[in-house]
Amino acid sequence: MDWGGIWSASEPFVRAVVAILIAYAVVFVAALVNILFERRTLAFMQDRLGPNRTGPQGAFQSIADAIKMMGKEDFSPAKADKILFTLAPLMVMIGAVSVQLVIPYTKGWTGQDLNVGLIYLVAITSFTVLSILVGGWASHNKYSLVGALRGGAQMVSYEIPMILALLVVGAIVGSWSLNAVVAWQQHYHWLVLYAPFTFLLFYIASIAELNRGPFDLPEGESELVAGYSTEYAAMRFGMFYLNEYAGMTIMSMIIVTLFFGGWEGPLADLLTVGGVALVPILWFVIKTYLLVFALVWVRLSLPRLQVDQLMSFAWKILIPLGLANIGVVAAIILWAPQWKLSLAAYGWVALLLFVGLFDRVLRWRLRRQRARQPKVTEGAVGIASSAAVSE
Amino acid sequence: MPEPLVEPSIFSEAPDEAIRLAIRRVMDEQSVSDLEGLELDTVIVNMGPQHPSTHGVLRLVVTLDGELIRDVIPVIGYLHRCKEKLAEKRTYYQYIPIVDRTEYLASMNCEWGYVMTVEKLAGIRPTRRAEFIRVIVGELMRIASHQVAVGTFVADLSPLGTAMVFYAFRDREKILDLLEAVSGARMMFNYFRFGGVRFDLPDGWVEKCRHVLADLPQRIDEYENLVNDNAIFLQRCIGKGVITQQDVVDYAITGPNARASGVATDLRRTRPYSVYPELDFDICLGEHGDVYDRYKVRIDEMRQSVKIVSQCLDMLPKGPVQLGTLRAPYTLAPPPGSAYVGQENPRGEYGTYIVSDGSRYPYRLKFRDPCFINLQIFPKVLRGVKIADAIAISGSFDMVLGGIDR
Repeated sequence: MDWGGIWSASEPFVRAVVAILIAYAVVFVAALVNILFERRTLAFMQDRLGPNRTGPQGAFQSIADAIKMMGKEDFSPAKADKILFTLAPLMVMIGAVSVQLVIPYTKGWTGQDLNVGLIYLVAITSFTVLSILVGGWASHNKYSLVGALRGGAQMVSYEIPMILALLVVGAIVGSWSLNAVVAWQQHYHWLVLYAPFTFLLFYIASIAELNRGPFDLPEGESELVAGYSTEYAAMRFGMFYLNEYAGMTIMSMIIVTLFFGGWEGPLADLLTVGGVALVPILWFVIKTYLLVFALVWVRLSLPRLQVDQLMSFAWKILIPLGLANIGVVAAIILWAPQWKLSLAAYGWVALLLFVGLFDRVLRWRLRRQRARQPKVTEGAVGIASSAAVSE
Repeated sequence: MPEPLVEPSIFSEAPDEAIRLAIRRVMDEQSVSDLEGLELDTVIVNMGPQHPSTHGVLRLVVTLDGELIRDVIPVIGYLHRCKEKLAEKRTYYQYIPIVDRTEYLASMNCEWGYVMTVEKLAGIRPTRRAEFIRVIVGELMRIASHQVAVGTFVADLSPLGTAMVFYAFRDREKILDLLEAVSGARMMFNYFRFGGVRFDLPDGWVEKCRHVLADLPQRIDEYENLVNDNAIFLQRCIGKGVITQQDVVDYAITGPNARASGVATDLRRTRPYSVYPELDFDICLGEHGDVYDRYKVRIDEMRQSVKIVSQCLDMLPKGPVQLGTLRAPYTLAPPPGSAYVGQENPRGEYGTYIVSDGSRYPYRLKFRDPCFINLQIFPKVLRGVKIADAIAISGSFDMVLGGIDR
């Protein structure tokens, strides 16, 4: 028999099946790992222990939680829209799973190297907002509805700065394909060195896309109980929960691919099986988890924004900056001599200016606001003041 | 025919009076007498009694217009335990542990207020050493209470606050250890007695206490470093929920909430009791009366309490901690009459009013709880703010439902 012929005929099919399996495996494993990772990291930062009883160093905690969640009663509220209520947790994973189609995990392995990869990324990750809206609406609960609407507004707003940042990547690399992005970075250097400011914009927008602190308004627990997932219990809630944590890894993988050289690293060709290099997977995972750690760190250190502050940050700061950024980058690429060097110089100056000035300007404005705020102590008559009491 | 936007059944099926009242108010505001004509851009939401940030079982029926709050109706009574009625069936002595459970985050101070009232009624003067010990435990309790207040307030604003809560509780733990060494309990102390306190300070306690006190100022700095300079935190605190001095007087607000508006009402100074006149400390005042000032006043008060306790440890006299003459407190029967004593609780004036008919049981006992009185301004300050602001504002008031409902 012509085994070689059968193999070459069936290879795309086999690869597709494996790619799908990997996509699902990554989502579930990443979610379980991230939940534990975040809990332990937060505990470390908050001067406590965190879950450390289930298995060595609490390694099986997430698995125990998952089993508990599956064992719970599958409850839905009496007035909920049953079909949509069931559909929302089913849809929520679409983004996280299918976005992995275009991500190059390692040399020689990409699910499908689409030539519109960057656009595909943006298109497919916004599936999450759909399920948040549907779930919040179907729950027949006011908290859920407010949470869902907040989520919808937020994710739609922050998608724009994200796309603006992606356009810069496309302009520099000259291709929409993610493999081309990685190849470009292998040839020159990591893109973050050329476009650090773009990276910052993308990073901020991606935190908002993930609904994580300080942008976790859709589920702002102290205001909206649990936001859009208030009425969800058992594994239906589990799907939202898994998606949120898997999203951390997926988004970090995208950022690594775009800005940190993807799987690139030393000893890339050391071990190769069937055209797939194995060592780069390690570099990819390490880079990804450094970024996941950064996400946890950011979440711990910043208070939650308010809705109006969140919206004005997107529309008044990020989007104008993103547009200006695109214009400058395009001009540099078209006209500047040695455009890569000029690009890097511009990027770093912009980054430093933004980081150095933003917080200062904000605090200066707050101080001015504080100084102008009327003092309630003035103009009150006949009320004990401090002088009267100190005898 | 246009579809009715609110089904009439909503009104008749409204689960209780508070929601019916909220609906009625919306109707009055839009001056419609019929539900058919009602516009439905207002949403009535039940916040609580089971809500993550109402700090207990406070229930707020909130009328929302989008994210804006139109109206608030506080509903209380979910933690009502008949504390005042219980007093009428117990002797004065038996009632001491029950006072602990009214405002449970400051139980030492509550006991102190009750015991002082009974002493005033019966004409008992506590021993001098006992007075100092009372101030020490009372101020330690104030620090512990403010730690909870500040920690949970910041936690309402963000996951960052979870760190704050853990830092605050870590340090509160040390104070509770001290109080445990003194009284044997960590929350419900049952420590005060008429004319003194139950136990003397154990051996080595003073050194231990000094050790904790030496550490505390750094810890308080740590809380401040964590949030004070954070632009997002400031944005959410500055200028929100302003209480004017007129409001303070109109609503009889006391404690840190009043002092944040610059009203220097501190019973330790304005109506001094115990040995406070001998001690040196400042009243911490705010200027703007907003959320940030209420937070800041509490932080500053912790520092002042550390100062007070250190002074008391230095001045601590020797002697008995209980009156030898009062042999059987169980049979204490004050002469007929009534007495009111206000005590500066961490949350304001905790007043105890007792009427005695000369028997061993109080004829009537009434608490003036600071949280209950401070709660009255909620509808006024919350009207017209956003939900997120409302959470910050209600967190900054530091409510304890055990006190409100009693």
